[in-house]
Amino acid sequence: MSKLQEFAKSFTQKRELQITIVLAIFGAILTTAAFVMAFTSANMQYHDTTVTVDYLLEDKGALLAPPAQQVGVDEGFVYITPWFSQKIFYFHVPIAQLSLVVFSLAAIFGIIFLRTRNPNYDLRSRIAMETTLIFTLGTMITGSLWTRASWLNSWGELGSTLLSEPRLVTYTVMLMFVVAYFVLRKSVEGEEKKATYSAVFAILAWIIVPFSFLYTRLTQEAAAHPTDAVNTGMDPSNLLPFIVCIFGMMMLGYAIYILRVAEEKKRTQLEEIKETIEDSLSKASKAKGVNATNQYSAAVVLNKTSEKQSSDSAQSASKDGGE
Amino acid sequence: MSENSHNTSSAAKTALENPTISAAGDATTSPAAIMAQGVSRSFGPRKAVDDVSFELPDKAFLSIFGPNGAGKTTLLKVLSTLLPITGKGSASVCGFDVKTQAEELRRRIGIISHNPLLYRDLSADENLQFFAELYCIPNPKQRIDELLEAVELKHRRYDVVRGFSRGMIQRLSIARALLPKPEVLFLDEPYSGLDPHASDILDSLIANIREDHTFVMVSHDLDKGLELASHALILSRGQIVLYDECKHIDTAAFKSLYREIVGLGVS
Amino acid sequence: MAKAKSTAATRSNISGWRQYKALLKKDIAQELRTKEMVTSMGLYGMLVLVIYYIALSQAGTGFDITLIAAGLLLLMIVFTSMLGLNRSLIHEHDQGQLEALLLAPIDRPIIFLAKATTNFLFLAIVQVVVVPFFYVMFVSSSPGIIRGDVDPGPWWMLALILFLGSIGIAGVGTLLATISVNSKGRDFILAVLFIPVMYPLLLVLVAALTAVITGGSGFEATFWQMCAAAAAYNAVVIAVAFALYDYILGV
Repeated sequence: MSKLQEFAKSFTQKRELQITIVLAIFGAILTTAAFVMAFTSANMQYHDTTVTVDYLLEDKGALLAPPAQQVGVDEGFVYITPWFSQKIFYFHVPIAQLSLVVFSLAAIFGIIFLRTRNPNYDLRSRIAMETTLIFTLGTMITGSLWTRASWLNSWGELGSTLLSEPRLVTYTVMLMFVVAYFVLRKSVEGEEKKATYSAVFAILAWIIVPFSFLYTRLTQEAAAHPTDAVNTGMDPSNLLPFIVCIFGMMMLGYAIYILRVAEEKKRTQLEEIKETIEDSLSKASKAKGVNATNQYSAAVVLNKTSEKQSSDSAQSASKDGGE
Repeated sequence: MSENSHNTSSAAKTALENPTISAAGDATTSPAAIMAQGVSRSFGPRKAVDDVSFELPDKAFLSIFGPNGAGKTTLLKVLSTLLPITGKGSASVCGFDVKTQAEELRRRIGIISHNPLLYRDLSADENLQFFAELYCIPNPKQRIDELLEAVELKHRRYDVVRGFSRGMIQRLSIARALLPKPEVLFLDEPYSGLDPHASDILDSLIANIREDHTFVMVSHDLDKGLELASHALILSRGQIVLYDECKHIDTAAFKSLYREIVGLGVS
Repeated sequence: MAKAKSTAATRSNISGWRQYKALLKKDIAQELRTKEMVTSMGLYGMLVLVIYYIALSQAGTGFDITLIAAGLLLLMIVFTSMLGLNRSLIHEHDQGQLEALLLAPIDRPIIFLAKATTNFLFLAIVQVVVVPFFYVMFVSSSPGIIRGDVDPGPWWMLALILFLGSIGIAGVGTLLATISVNSKGRDFILAVLFIPVMYPLLLVLVAALTAVITGGSGFEATFWQMCAAAAAYNAVVIAVAFALYDYILGV
């Protein structure tokens, strides 16, 4: 009964839900703002291909593009303005980063689950995996658009582009992992088995993904395929929409995660309530069963008195039996 | 937790309210082969075994009854260390704790299941040799000879198990279970899938080894279970409904209680 | 009194090495009797070769097969090993034998190691039979090699990289097959789990095999780099699989 009350209360206590909705709205606004900014305030940069975050890190925070690369014409090459690839960048990178974060979360919750055997962590791991699915798909869609746009511009060919970008290949592998995770969940019977196997698989996946990235690069170098073209930095006017977008996406991602966890928790609560109802049913039937047990005790007593074990207990027991 | 009551009728009543009760008398005189204290096995809201406590004296034969999904097999698996206990409860078999002394415990138990647990593509001899090696039994040849003699499979020693009849497989699986000279034998519905003849043979085999082993049997079959048992336990929804010595049990009343529990759909 | 004595005796006798040997012996005896794994894997490998022949029958003489030979070889190995891994774990599962193993006083890692060892053994045997066929059918008869344009590396390099690959496949595959055998749709689940997990290893295997088969200047450097990468993958991922196997068996 108390569980039922808790359940009812949890609907009146809407604070968590409110916060999540606020987060989702803010996230949506920020993302939209970034989108608008990307097309209005951000300056166009004139250089050939991809703008990547790892370049920024390598350059120890030098956020300005090197002067040579801000020029449209350089050393005889004529670059076409990378208009579309520039725009998609603001969405691609935050989504990609977040997908890695939630993917790691899935593995970490998997480890905690294996240690504690608490189904709550299995739930979290699963929701994190679901969020990973959304963000990985987003990454791949924006990423392939970006790669296509920028590489079509620089080399004028579509051929080997998708397969020669290690990040994109890594995301394909990650997507395979996420899909395999859910296929595995579907096909294992028994809640605990399902939770354990998927936790193990999430951890394994987390170990494999860095290998996938490194080895894709390594083997591509060996085969001397075209890898990344020149990386460049970012103009400050571009940085603002980028950061705004990261925050927006983070809020959105977190909101999705929280909402799904809350939903699933409600579901388990509902299961618990069903259990308690069944329990109370069983109590009711046990009350009926007392009748049977009384008959049983009476029979036992008869048995015992015939064995002449203890006359004392027989007397007290026959009283019980008479009730 | 355990309450030594000589008054069985009130014991039976308390079993309904509070399923923590030990079988009368005997527990104090001989050491307990199995001790379970507040054993629970749950995952999330589902409790397969819910706060089960009992004490089984040495050389006893316990039959566990209960409807499907009552947690009988799970309880057996917990006691044989295949599944861990969740929560605070503890259990020990032959004085060894299931959590901390699992290896010692495993050396002292044998399982006879409706699943033969044998390799079908190996001969009877190879199967027994393999398990003898796993248990690191000294002098395995001699022990296997003894056992094959006992289960009357000596003439089939080098035949592949795949060609055995159900009854022969069951006999061989008994030999396998007895290989490490276990002190406690767990029987997981050993009669299911056996024809009357094979189950007679199983009966006589169990009768042969009855005296120097402790038995725990999970069964649907009330008659069979009560016939062999010295102790009986009814499990429903993971909880003990009744635990008692068989000599205090009136069969007819016991059956009607069981049917009441099963029949009401409380599974 | 007698009980205490026998307790002491059995305790001193438990030996992990003896149990490991028993597990190996059991798997090998089973295989010798049925010849199920090696024949089904070998036959399957041969069938894949026939399919390759059909697929490449219109490629013409100008087609340089050495560039894709490594990929073809690996494809065959992946498919045959998935077949074998599944079979090997079904042997432990259909009569509840794994339960019997877990009831014995045996350390769980020994079960993993023994199973991985026999899987490796059977994979190796099948490869010893099928890879030479592949080599004769597709590589040594290719126009480039006959004309002498392509100079493949020594055979032991091929053996070494296949050895490294089989270790990885057997080690990680044992964990994945144990998972898949406990689920519905075993073969399918194994494929779904196996391919993404094996992706990095397969990638470097192809690179190393291509380096060996096509030869050329400085192929040794690539080869050793890829071998090191495969070894690194094996070390890390098998260690993780080893650690996680206990949890798989615990439910």
